[in-house]
Formats: sequence, C-alpha cells, structure tokens
Amino acid sequence: MDKLVIAGRQFDSRLLMGTGKFASPQVMAQALAACGAEIVTVALRRVDIGNPQDDTLREIDRNKLLLLPNTSGARTAEEAVRLARLARAATNINWVKLEVTPDPYYLLPDPVETLKAAEILVKEGFVVLPYINADPILAKRLQEAGTATVMPLGSPIGSNQGLKTRAAIEIIIGQSSVPVVVDAGLGLPSHAAEAMEIGADAVLINTAIATAADPCEMALAFKLAVEAGRRAYLAGPRAPAKRAEASSPLTGFLRD
Amino acid sequence: MKSLRINGQVRQFAPEEMPATLSALLERLGIGPAAVVAEVDGEIVRPEEFARTEVREGQTIEIVKFMGGG
Repeated sequence: MDKLVIAGRQFDSRLLMGTGKFASPQVMAQALAACGAEIVTVALRRVDIGNPQDDTLREIDRNKLLLLPNTSGARTAEEAVRLARLARAATNINWVKLEVTPDPYYLLPDPVETLKAAEILVKEGFVVLPYINADPILAKRLQEAGTATVMPLGSPIGSNQGLKTRAAIEIIIGQSSVPVVVDAGLGLPSHAAEAMEIGADAVLINTAIATAADPCEMALAFKLAVEAGRRAYLAGPRAPAKRAEASSPLTGFLRD
Repeated sequence: MKSLRINGQVRQFAPEEMPATLSALLERLGIGPAAVVAEVDGEIVRPEEFARTEVREGQTIEIVKFMGGG
C-alpha cells in the first residue's frame, strides 16, 4: 500500500489510534499492536496528587510510535495554545492535534478559535493537525494557514454514528492539498472503509476500539478495513448506475 | 506556614519543610516519574529543569502528565 505522508514524515499505517477509554494500559498496548497504528494521540492533564501512579502510557514505545498530544479540554484558542506549548515541552515533539471544543454535549469544535490557535501554533513552528467540523471553507483556511492536515469529523466524538458528514468530506478531499484524516464518530470498520474509499488519507479511531467487548479483535478489524478502503480507492471504483448492467454476456443464450 | 497552590489546591508547608526545588516538591508529593512537564506561575518548566527550579511561597504550580486520550 502507498505510504501516508504528513509534514514530510512517512507512515505505513493509515490508521491513527486514540488511547482513551481503554480498560488497562495492557489492553491498549495489545490493541495498538493489532491495529498497527504508528501515530497515537494522548491527552495532557493535571497529575492527580492523590493517585499519581496512573500511567496509561508506559506501554507505548516512543521509539517506534509518534506520540501526538491533543489539546482536548481546551475551550478557547488561548487554552489550546497553552496545552500545545506544554505538550511540546514535555515531548520535544512539535506535533499537536489541535482541538477546541467549548460545547460539552456534542463536543463540536469551535471553528473560529481553532483557526486562531492554528495560526499562532504554525507561526511557533508546530506541526498542526486540527480537528474540525466537516466545513470545506474552514479546511481551506486552515490549509492556507499552514496546518499539516485537516481532520474533519464523521459525526460527534465517541458517538459511533459513522460518516454522517460524507458529502462535505468529499468536498474537503476534492479541494485539499494536505492529508485529510477523518476523525471522530467512526464506530465500525465499515465506516472507516467508507471514509477511505472516498479518498480520505487516514482515519483516527479511539472509542470504537477501546470500548468494544474485544478491543484487540476490533483493532484488527479496523486495520483490515482501512487497508481495504485504501486499496479500493486506489483501484478506482466505478460510479453507481441507475439501472442494471449485465456482468454476463448478453449473447449465446441456450434458447431460440 | 508557607503555601503553594498546586494543581488548583492550596497546600501548606511548615517553613522548615518547604521544598526548595520543584524536584523536591514532586518527591514530597510522591509523583516523581508521572510528571512530564510543569508550569510555575504560568512559565513552562521542562523535566530536565525540575531540579534547578526554585519553589517559593505563594507560587501557583501546575504538574502535568500524559494520559489516554483521542
């Protein structure tokens, strides 16, 4: 399969995995191995002084995988920029998944604050991967601001509703000169395959894997779906037709 | 007593027990390896700077780690 290239860096896998909601670090590590992701997102939070031992990420081999800190929890551009700077100081990696989600019910990203934060972070040398609603104009504005990707949502985070924004994502893919990573809401491997079939460069999956009864098996299912979808896209699928087109010859029937 | 605001909570230290550096504070709180980065009065402090970062009465300190997230 062809490689995914983000900000000049090559990846074999087109599946990015989030690390939230797993039952244990061990289960997360197994799922990570099964899905083959090379980019994993993590969140930045206060240490719980009463319970400092919680260390979900000890199983991640940072020599092999790219840790992609997110700015989750940020409600404004200012908060997102603060989190991004902290993450960079912590990792010495300048990649950041930018998310600004002031609305706690739908967790939809704020386009104005996201663009504002992206402009600041790009100027500061960050490789910015912004989480956005499936808005083609916003995607263009972010691309012009210098973001490394755009990451439109399929449906609200963790909702498992699938590719509800398909029509808008198709427009984004058609216009984009940076990789399009479909992030959020993909609940089944078929959703991921659909995103890849229409030409998305990658998908980001967390909840659907982490909360499955068997996360490891679901991780593998997503891996296969992403590969299948990419291969189908590269193979050049034909458009749907209104009426039947016979697959078998329409001559030589055994009748007069 | 000397006080520090740590991760949103005020903590009091007897003057002789007040940690001198950020490293000493983390050790006192039992959170050495979990912390990946800190902020002291809004200034970012990298882990390699913890040992030489002085802690003073009245400061606001954020101690931050990575955790699972999407």
